[in-house]
Parts: sequence; structure tokens; C-alpha cells
Amino acid sequence: MKTSPKSDLSQGTLDPLVLRIVALGPIHGYAIAQRIQQMSREALQVQQGSLYPALHRLEYKKFLVAEWAESETGRDAKFYRLTPKGLAQLKRETESWARLTEAVGLILQNPQGEIS
Amino acid sequence: MSWLRRLLSGSRMDQELDAELRFHFEQQVAEKARLGISEDEARRSARLEFGGLEQVKEDCRESRGTMWVAFVVQDLRFAARQLRKAPGFAVIAVAALSVGIGAAAAIFSVMDAVLLRPLPFAHQERIVVPVMTSRARFAQSYSYLSYRDVRAQLQTFDVLAGYAGGVDNINLEGPGGPASLRVIKGTDNFFTVFGVKPILGRTYEPGEDQPGRDNIAVLSYETWKINFAGLTDVVGKVVRLGGTPYTVIGVMPAGFRFPLSAHNVIYTPLHPSESWRKSRGAHWLRTVGLLKEGVSRNGALADLNRVLAEIGRAYPDTDGGLTGSLIPLAVQVNSLDSGGKASGPLGTLALACLALLGIACVNVAGLLLARGVKREREMALRAAVGANRRRLVLQMLNESMVLCIFGLVGGMLVSWLLLKAMNIFLIKALARGADIHLNMTVVAVALGLSMLTSVLASLAPAVRLSGTDPNRALRAGGGGAGSGRGQHRLRSIFVVTQVALSLVLLVVSGLLLRNLRDLLKTDLGFNPSTILATEIDLSPGRYEGRDPVAAFYHPLLERVSHLPGVAGAGVIDNLPVQSWGSNENVHIAGQAPYPPNQEMLSEIRFVSTGYFDAMGIQLVRGRMLSPELDRVDINPAGTAIVNEAFRRKFFANGGNPVGAHLDDDPKAKLKMGIVGVVTDVRQDLQQPPMAEMDWLIDALPPNLRMDYLGNMMLVVHSSGNLPALVPSLRNAFHEVDPTVPFKTPEPMTQVVDEQLIFERMESWLFGIFASFALLLAMIGLYGLVNHEVELRTREIGICMALGSTRALAMRQVLRRVALLIATGTGLGWLLTLALKKVLSSVVEMNADHDLALFVCLTAGLAAMGILASIIPARRAASIEPMQVLRTE
Repeated sequence: MKTSPKSDLSQGTLDPLVLRIVALGPIHGYAIAQRIQQMSREALQVQQGSLYPALHRLEYKKFLVAEWAESETGRDAKFYRLTPKGLAQLKRETESWARLTEAVGLILQNPQGEIS
Repeated sequence: MSWLRRLLSGSRMDQELDAELRFHFEQQVAEKARLGISEDEARRSARLEFGGLEQVKEDCRESRGTMWVAFVVQDLRFAARQLRKAPGFAVIAVAALSVGIGAAAAIFSVMDAVLLRPLPFAHQERIVVPVMTSRARFAQSYSYLSYRDVRAQLQTFDVLAGYAGGVDNINLEGPGGPASLRVIKGTDNFFTVFGVKPILGRTYEPGEDQPGRDNIAVLSYETWKINFAGLTDVVGKVVRLGGTPYTVIGVMPAGFRFPLSAHNVIYTPLHPSESWRKSRGAHWLRTVGLLKEGVSRNGALADLNRVLAEIGRAYPDTDGGLTGSLIPLAVQVNSLDSGGKASGPLGTLALACLALLGIACVNVAGLLLARGVKREREMALRAAVGANRRRLVLQMLNESMVLCIFGLVGGMLVSWLLLKAMNIFLIKALARGADIHLNMTVVAVALGLSMLTSVLASLAPAVRLSGTDPNRALRAGGGGAGSGRGQHRLRSIFVVTQVALSLVLLVVSGLLLRNLRDLLKTDLGFNPSTILATEIDLSPGRYEGRDPVAAFYHPLLERVSHLPGVAGAGVIDNLPVQSWGSNENVHIAGQAPYPPNQEMLSEIRFVSTGYFDAMGIQLVRGRMLSPELDRVDINPAGTAIVNEAFRRKFFANGGNPVGAHLDDDPKAKLKMGIVGVVTDVRQDLQQPPMAEMDWLIDALPPNLRMDYLGNMMLVVHSSGNLPALVPSLRNAFHEVDPTVPFKTPEPMTQVVDEQLIFERMESWLFGIFASFALLLAMIGLYGLVNHEVELRTREIGICMALGSTRALAMRQVLRRVALLIATGTGLGWLLTLALKKVLSSVVEMNADHDLALFVCLTAGLAAMGILASIIPARRAASIEPMQVLRTE
């Protein structure tokens, strides 16, 4: 059924993305999914089945707070906002992501390690 | 937001979640519509993309960490619903648990308060009661002089205090009006032993037990509260005790009591009379001591014996041949006055409780097992529609949890009721009775025990079921015959256990009830329903140097015996049935010396002439005592009347007591003569009549009378309405001496009842336990047989189809029941015999004497068991073979 080449996201990767996007300003779930798709130039697509549990998990961990407000279409939607705790978490996750990609890059792009 | 609040606001949360997801969904549809897809198509594809909406919701909920709580609440609700569907099962299980938990909690609370809880004293472990034992192996009190000697010579004791009292009352004229209080008289170091500081004022200082400095008093907390209204300036107040002024010097804290049975007491220094202070022959002091730190009890005992031996050498006539023993205080206070009566029965009672708790647990376990087998199909169905194994097990556990919660509530109720009852019964019987309240630790332990059993019992089928292939279980049909067999055996064992334990309880309670009935039927030697008795306490201060017989007893008796309705009146120092033990070694002049270790005691009573008539005691031979003939000036040797028991004991070979003399003086002329023999009266309900000598109060030298006759019992005989006499008796007291407190007289029937409080409570409790046990065993048996019939319906049906008869089917079931009961009673008897020694603290078993009772009890139990299984057995017999085969 699902034939698109878009990759699915694991939980560990999804959380920082969500935090990053919410950090831009209050936003509801649908828009978060849209944003992830846009910002990744359609490379990443988030399933609702992963997104909403992630949102609720982050809210439970007090990284996000939510309130109901009118959306751009005039309907009420649940808007998420980053908390200071969430901001700190975002910084931590960004740093560790940077370290990880650097380390992975060092290995994968090392000319001596050519795969024979 | 706490998870609890989140949980409670669960439905609002769900609505929000729903709205949030719906918003997303609508946005998706709108997006697709904008791309030009038809609305229906957009919806369909959005729904496909979305996946299972409920699944997403569940994941969201789970990511909030409230899931397990939601499960528990859901399961508890579900469990409660399930139980409501099986009210019989639920009621029985809850009742069984309530009774088990409640009884155990109550009895163990009492045990804890009475036997285990530390005493309210510092250095409790070092406090001992040194007891002297005479050559004839009787515990002997100390004379004042020997106490002083022992105190001076002991090296292993920090403190050795002497005290007396706790039996007699003293009249207090305090701010709250006249009151009769128990007085505990102690040496100057009395309070030092216990290391408890007074809350007001001080206790005795060294030397304050000496004449001239000793008119001081320390109040117990209760006395301070009740008789002094808790006045904080009470120290320094002067009150009159027994007519003499005393200065209050201190108040002890609540909880300080010594002896422990004494609540409303007043403590004063010893105040021995001149004769008691100087005589080595007057043994009247009891002692309590504090061992030096680090001294072992054996070391202290050796020290005590060394001192006693030395004193014995110095004064062989009065103090020779004494050996000491040391009783730890905890042991001494926890035993009843009459020789440690309480701890044995309490221990047995605890065993009975454990048995009851065991029966309850086993019963519930059996019920749960049976239920588990019955619900096999339901469980299989649930597993088939996707319930996972953990959830299934959890849910079974929750059901037992709900049962236990209800059981706990019921148990608290039961234990509260039991404790209430026991408080009424026990306060008088046990030294520390008033300290009893429900012990939560005990409740927790009992609950834990029952929870454990029911959890295990419900776990067994749950685990097995959740492991089975639902397919097979479903196909096997409801209550598949094979599956229940293992558990069936287990349940049979349970039933046998219950029957066995019930039999033990039945035997004990049967014996107890029989004993009680025997005691109530005891021939007392008098008719208790026609006799009133009341205490008389004369204030020593007021009668100092006066003759209480001439000044009080004669005028009082004169008045009382002429009251309308009174047929006779007299006084005695120890009321029959109520108190005994005032005795003396006796040797009849002219008889060969008695063997050294043979007890040859006779009770001694001081009575007035009217006493015999008032009690209805008959003269058997000789003559009655008379004030005219038995006066000291006429007959210096003194005269006594003895009872029949005395005659049987001292004149076993025939011979006439009348005219015989006691060997109580070297001079033949001064040997006391026996002038008459009268019928027996029970001094103690538990023992056959003891040998007794009665002396006339008039025969006592006037200067000694106040020492012996300060506290007497008045007995009044009337064939009319006893309570109606009370006002005129009060008048008579008042006319003779208004300062003597009048205590409402009790009929002797009540005195007898009070003596039987402990016996009554014991048989009452055991009776209740036994009937509960019997009931539970019957329920267990009924459940088992019923279940068995259900399981074997098919089998029986086939048998019948093949030619078996109804009678045969019934006989088959009953044969199994009979086997179970026989095994149960057999085990019960083995258990009873094995526990014989333990049980003997409550009841003695006597095979030939009680055989009929035993046979009746066993037969009764068996009959009850058969009765319980008759209904299911009849159901087995009424199985229609065709119907059974058709439902296959």
C-alpha cells in the first residue's frame, strides 16, 4: 500500500525534530507533521501513529505544554509550546546529534576505510 | 498533574485526545480535497493513512504512563462486577475472610497487650520479683525484719523494695468527697526500682518510711484525675487517709502502675504496726528488686540464696529452710493472681485463632480454585479475542484483591466487636487488661496472610489457563472433566484440613462448655440467690486504739439482723468463692508427726456468730461458737469450729474432731480446742472444699482486732427481694458510722458469676470459633461435593444410561464424602492428641470421663458434613441421562 520512498522515523529521532519545530512557536499536531515534511524537503514523513504518542510523551515529560486555541482554519486545535525544560532538552539533543553525525561521518568518509 | 488526577479526569482527557486527532484527520481531508480529490475518496484515503484511530489513542494514553492504573481500576471494577454476579461465592468468601482476619487480629491484639508489649518501666529486664519458698514448698512473704536483713546483705541488687497492699482499701477524704481507694504501701526505695519520674512533685526520699516522716502519699495518675480533678497544685495538699492526715508529695504519670492490676491507687510508705515491725513470724511484705547492671539472674539467685541461708542460720525458728527464686517482672505481672492462669489459655486461644484463620484461608482458596475451574471457558474465550496473558492473570488477582479488601473491612468490624466484648470480660481478669486496643500490625499480618492465600489460589488456575491454547480449552467444553482433577485433589485436601481443624476446636469448646456447666452446677454449700454480700472497710485512723467489734461490727449486725426481711447476718474476713488462701499449717495434738512434704494446711477465717446462719451452714456435731463461752478471759487457749473437709483431712482414720486440740502451743492448757464441725462451703469454685477453721471475732484480743478485722465482708440472708434490702442496709451503715463508705451489696450469685468470667469468656470464644469453623467446613464440603457433581455430570449420566440407578449414583457421591469426613476427623483426632499438652492449659482431656462427649462431637461433625453434601448428592442422583448425552 505504502510505496513512497519516504523514510519513517524512529522515536529517538522524532523527539528532537518535534522539539525543534515547536521551538519556532506554538503549533498544532497537523502543522508539525506538515512542517517536518516541508523542512526535510519531503524526505521525512511522520505517521500520526508516531506523532501523537510522541507529543503526549513530551507533554508528559513537561518538555511541552499544550493549550486549545483557534487554528488558521477557524477550528479549535491543540497548540503545543516549548517549555524552558524542553528548550534545554532540545539543546542537549542537538549537541548529541551533532556529535553522533560527526563521529559517524568520520568513519563513513574516512578514505583509508574504503570498502573493498 | 498527578497521575491520579489525570486518571480521574480520564474521560475529559479522552475527549480532548479525540478532538485533537479528529482535527488532524479533518485537516488531512481538507488538504486532499484542495488537491482535487472528491470528498469521499479523500476521507477514505485519509482514514487509511491514519491507521487504527483507537490504536493511536491507546498509544497516546500509554505514553502518558497512566495505563497500568487504568487497567487496575478497570479490573477492580470488573472484578467487583464479576463478584456481584456470584453473590453466594462472594458473601461466603468475604465472610470467611472477615471472621479469620477479625478473630486473629482481636486475639493477637490481646496477646500483644498482655504478653508481649514491654512494661512501662525503665530497665524492665533488670526488675525481678524475689520469692521465698518455705520448706513445705509454699511461697512465703517476708517479715519486716527479714526484709531489712536481706536488703542490707544482698550484693547483686541495686534496689530491693518491699511493699504490701493492693488487696485492702483505704478511705480517702479528699477534695472530691470520700472515696475508697486501693493503697500500695512501700518502702522508701519503692519507686527507685521502676525508674519512672513523677509528673508532679517527687517520690519518697530515703528514710521517709520511718515513723514520723511517713505520712506522705503519692497519687496514681487515675487517682489524681478522678479524685483530685487533675489539680496541678495538689502537691503539698493534706488529705485524710483512713482518718489520718497525709501530705500529697507527688503524682505518677499515666501508665505507671505497680502492681499492674492497680489503677486507682494511692501509694504511701509502709506504716507497719508495732507488732508487725518487730516480729519475724509475721510474713507480710512482698518484694520487687532491680538487679545491678550486668548481673545475671543466676548470679543474683545465688546471692539471694546465700543471704537467705545466713538469715536462716541466725533465726532457724522463723527464717530457717527458705530457698529463693527470682521471677522476671514481665512473667510475674502477666500471670493472673491465681497462678499464671492467663498466658496458657491466651496461647491456646491464639492457636485457635490461627486455626480459624487457616480454615478461612483454605476455604477461600478452595472456593477460588473451584471458581477458576468453572471459568476456564470464559478465560479461554477472552484469550481467544486477544486478552494477553498478563492481563488475564492480573484480572484474577484483582478479584482476590477485591475479596481481601472486603474481608479486611469485615475483619476490622469483627475484631472491633470481639475486642469490645473481651474488654468487658478481661479487664478484671487480666492485670493489664485495660491496655488492650486493636493492633494494626496484627491486622496487617492477618490481611497479608489471607491475601497471600487467595492470590496463590487464584493464581494457580489463572496461570494454567492463560498458558493453555484457547482453542483446545474452548473445544473441551465447560468445566472439562480432566482439567479439574489436580485441583480437585487439592480441594479435597483443603476440606480434610478444615474438618480436622474444626474437630479440634469443637472438642476444646465442647470440653470448656461442659466444664463451665459443671462449675455452675457446683454444690457451693450455700444458696447464692438468698445471700447479699458487701465489703466493709474501716479507717484505721478512726479506729486506732478502739475495738472495731464493739464499736462497729456488733452494732451493725444488731441493726442489720433486725431489719425487716433479713433472716440472718454475719461477717467474715474472706468471702467464700471470692477469696481464699489465708491459711496455716496445722497439727492435731496427739497425732503422729505428718510426713515433711505433705501439705497439711487449713484455711482460717474470722467470723461473727451470725455468719453460719446467714450462709445456711449447718452444725454436724459438737456445738456452735458463742461469744459467751469462747471469750479470751474464760478460755485463753481459744476455740474453733472446723468444717467437714477439715475432718476428712485431719481425721481421715475416723476419730472425733470435737474435743481435739491443735498443737499450736507447747502448754497443753493453751492448745486451741475444736468444739464443733459444720458443713462445707466452697472457698474456691475450682477446688473441692478446703479444710477450714473458723474463729470468732470476739475471741480475738481487742488490741489485735484492728490488725485483722479492718476489712470484712458482710453477708445478709434473706428469702425476699435482695435489692430491696439495699436502702435499709445503707441506713444501718450510716447510723453506726457515717464515715464508713457503703458499697452496694451484690447477691452471691453475682459474686459466683464474677469468679467465672474467665471460664465464661473462654468457652464463649472457643464456642464461637468452633461454630465458625464448623460452618466454614460445611461450606467447604458443600462446595466441593457440588463442584464434583458438576464435573462428573457427564460421567454419572453415562453410568445411568448404562444401567446404574439413582441410589447407586447417590451412594457413590456420599461414599466419597464419608471418606473425606472420616479422613478429616481421623486427622483431627491425631491433631488433638498431639496438641493435648498445649490444650491442657485450657482443658484437661480425660479419655474415659469424656468419651461420650467426644463420640457425640465426632458424630455431630460427621452428620453435619453429610447434611451439607446431601443437596448436591441428590442433584447427582437426579441427573437425566438423556439430557446429559444430548448436550454432549
